Amino acid sequence: MSWLANLYKTYENHTRDVGQFEKKKNNREYALIPVSHTTQSAHIEVNLDGEGNYLSAKVIDKNEGSTIIPCTEASASRTSAPVPYPLFDKLVYVAGDFVQYCGEVKGTPHTDYMKQLRSWCESPYGHSKVKCVHEYLAKGTLITDLIRDKVLWIDGQGKLIEKWTAALEAERGEKPDIFKVIVSDQSAAFIRFAVQVPGEVESRLWRDPSVQQSFIQFYEMSLKEKDLCYVSGELLPYADKHTSRIRNSADKSKLISANDSDGFTYRGRFRSSRDAATVSYEVSQKAHNALKWLIERQGITVDGRVFLVWGIESLDMPDPLGDTFSLYQDEDEEPTGGDSTHKEFANQVRRAIGGYRYDGNYTSNVIIMVLDAATPGRLSMVYYRDLNKEIFLDRLQAWHETCYWQHRYRKSADNKNITFIGAPATRDIAFAAYGPRANDKIVKGLIERMLPCIIDGRKIPLDIVRSAVNRASNPVGLDEWEWEKTLSITCALVNKTFEREGFEVALNTENKDRSYLFGRMLAIADVLERRALGREEKRATNAVRYMNAFAQRPSRTWTIIQSNIQPYQARMGTDAGYYNRLLDEVGAQLEAENFTDKPLSGLYLLGFYSQRNDLYTSKKNKEIGTDIEQDQENNEQGEII
Amino acid sequence: MRNQIEFEVSGRYALFTDPLTKLGGEKFSYQVPSYESLKGIVESIYWKPTLTWVVDEVRVMKFIQTESKGIRPIEYSGGNTLAYYTYLKDVHYQVRAHFEFNPHREDLMYDRNEFKHHNIAKRAVKAGGRRDIFLGTRECQGYVEPCVFGEGAGDYDEVPEIDFGTMVHGISYPDETGRKERETRLWRAKMQHGIIRFIRPEECTLVRKTGEGAVKAFSSANMQDVDSLYEEMFVDGGSE
Repeated sequence: MSWLANLYKTYENHTRDVGQFEKKKNNREYALIPVSHTTQSAHIEVNLDGEGNYLSAKVIDKNEGSTIIPCTEASASRTSAPVPYPLFDKLVYVAGDFVQYCGEVKGTPHTDYMKQLRSWCESPYGHSKVKCVHEYLAKGTLITDLIRDKVLWIDGQGKLIEKWTAALEAERGEKPDIFKVIVSDQSAAFIRFAVQVPGEVESRLWRDPSVQQSFIQFYEMSLKEKDLCYVSGELLPYADKHTSRIRNSADKSKLISANDSDGFTYRGRFRSSRDAATVSYEVSQKAHNALKWLIERQGITVDGRVFLVWGIESLDMPDPLGDTFSLYQDEDEEPTGGDSTHKEFANQVRRAIGGYRYDGNYTSNVIIMVLDAATPGRLSMVYYRDLNKEIFLDRLQAWHETCYWQHRYRKSADNKNITFIGAPATRDIAFAAYGPRANDKIVKGLIERMLPCIIDGRKIPLDIVRSAVNRASNPVGLDEWEWEKTLSITCALVNKTFEREGFEVALNTENKDRSYLFGRMLAIADVLERRALGREEKRATNAVRYMNAFAQRPSRTWTIIQSNIQPYQARMGTDAGYYNRLLDEVGAQLEAENFTDKPLSGLYLLGFYSQRNDLYTSKKNKEIGTDIEQDQENNEQGEII
Repeated sequence: MRNQIEFEVSGRYALFTDPLTKLGGEKFSYQVPSYESLKGIVESIYWKPTLTWVVDEVRVMKFIQTESKGIRPIEYSGGNTLAYYTYLKDVHYQVRAHFEFNPHREDLMYDRNEFKHHNIAKRAVKAGGRRDIFLGTRECQGYVEPCVFGEGAGDYDEVPEIDFGTMVHGISYPDETGRKERETRLWRAKMQHGIIRFIRPEECTLVRKTGEGAVKAFSSANMQDVDSLYEEMFVDGGSE
């Protein structure tokens, strides 16, 4: 199905969530907005009684300001020209005594507002509480009432104070609440109404579904012009303008914009945008509202680019951009770290992903959508995939099972280092390839490029792997922990690149690959020297220092490393025997004609990691098949064995 | 079917613009080619005003993948702007189409020679088309080769059905309908085991008028018939 149709369907599947506020982590509220409505943050709440008399008013706290307001197509996209919202709006529209307190205004905002409100009240769909609001506002005393109630403040000339200055502070004491919630002056305050009728629980008009329904029906009535909808294929009232503010409340860009007549877009074959394509009002509203809701709920934003994954029936899907560890979080699963077999690990991934599978719907789809704007006005879909849920989960599972390595950079909830086996998060891949200070533009580009690798099982672009290998080969330039993180992520990427050869974290002593063997030798040299240096000595070993050169010219650099570790071998005496024997063993596996200066492939990192990991795992632990407790920072593992 | 040709068309990119994204200029491709874009490809292979091509079916051979690119579109009044276009990547289709004589072209009645046109069309497929082939938009070059429809393995062979919802089927031009109107046709596209079977243009029920036009008239003033050309070239009946 097309993207808009899928969004529309998502809305229809979640109609029970319409108008229900949920809280995000940062305490901001969001909701699936009904048709013909939008959200605004209100500053002042006015309470009225059932007869349309003023009761009280208060300034609203910033976190509670989010208000669902009815809106028309024209008001939703108003700019500088005054177009009133139907019910809640700024003072300039709702207050009849605005001119008295704030001076002249352009146009006739209040009259327009009252006219629109009256036609709603008088329509067959009018609502009794909305009539109360109309009755009260017709008196034209709103600002006067608010001033009397000490919500708004006037200066000596009887005008609203524009700015709370230090002089006023000295004169009148503490800063009133209204100046804390409004950035500009008081006249820009946005008003919402509550009507208290005895016996009715919901007085807040912006939370009352019957008011929302009343407006939806009233507005539907006013839409007369029907046209063929390109999404639903039905003859329905047609949407002239489409929603903006999709990614966030300050975002002016639209997914469907129809005002572009300066570029070569549709002209030539069509004269007007309407000739080129039409979308019905209902579909446009519902689809856009669903999209906004989804972005608030589960979208990830990097430098303005929104990454969004959802299921049309059940919204929550495992995040393809997350690492394997984050998959386990929802489960009570304790990730088995260390040298667990690949089969065991694969089972674990299967269990974690399996949780999303059998909810009874086999034909359900998963949508992956990436949105970004090249210019401020227009939003573009940069990536879109519509996948069968089972296929999506299969692919995701395959990704976690093939692009995997052993990682130690994650911390658990109680701030303990965790060893887990699995795939790294896409964002971490970006940092591994381009460094922790990588520009957001590069990160978002990489995430988009990685998506096909995860979702379609395509090869990881070579430049990404190469860049990560280069960074992992240069430990001297990085902090210890950062290098370890880069190394394990790079190993995962390299492992994925050489997927067919089936490398595992556990050391493969049979592998005769030149790069792998060189990597193992480097690891032995590293562990040997580390052990000789002892626990206190923190400086980098020769092996680590020459790693970069070693990757480029292994044979020549190896002679340097070997001569440099000579003193340590001598210092350790017989203790070095095991390492020496191992070195000879690995060296013997290396064919003489392979002992050249040809640069090493990324595989040497796997050899390095596996060999080092093997040496740091004590014999005893190897026998029972579990990993020893390893302390990342101290790197004290050299003492064991 | 009579007068049928079968060919495969492939390319690195394709952009069958979704009309909704065309308005603003941030073009985004349909997941599969529309009837009209395939008809355009067939017409690039071989066309005469005498004929109308009918696309019967298309088989999607490769997984649908998208890739976005930053594009600098041309503005009417000059200046710079930037847009993201999202293309289909690495596409490969098998197409089956046949021609019929255009009933609204009575002026070209004398040219209705089935064998001639069918043989020319088959030769044109073998040659990779008479004009340049493009997949949706001009920047997406396509390549045509003869094939046997349904042969070879496709990536969607095992997928029972994918519903693409409402899509543009194509545009009816005056010389195909005989009316002085340009109409846009919509239909509900479905792919079964990788194959989309198109309904015929006149079977589309969702049609809206999107412009006017007129039929171009052909006469001896702007067209020469092949027999008179032959006589002109070979005065003696070509016996030499």
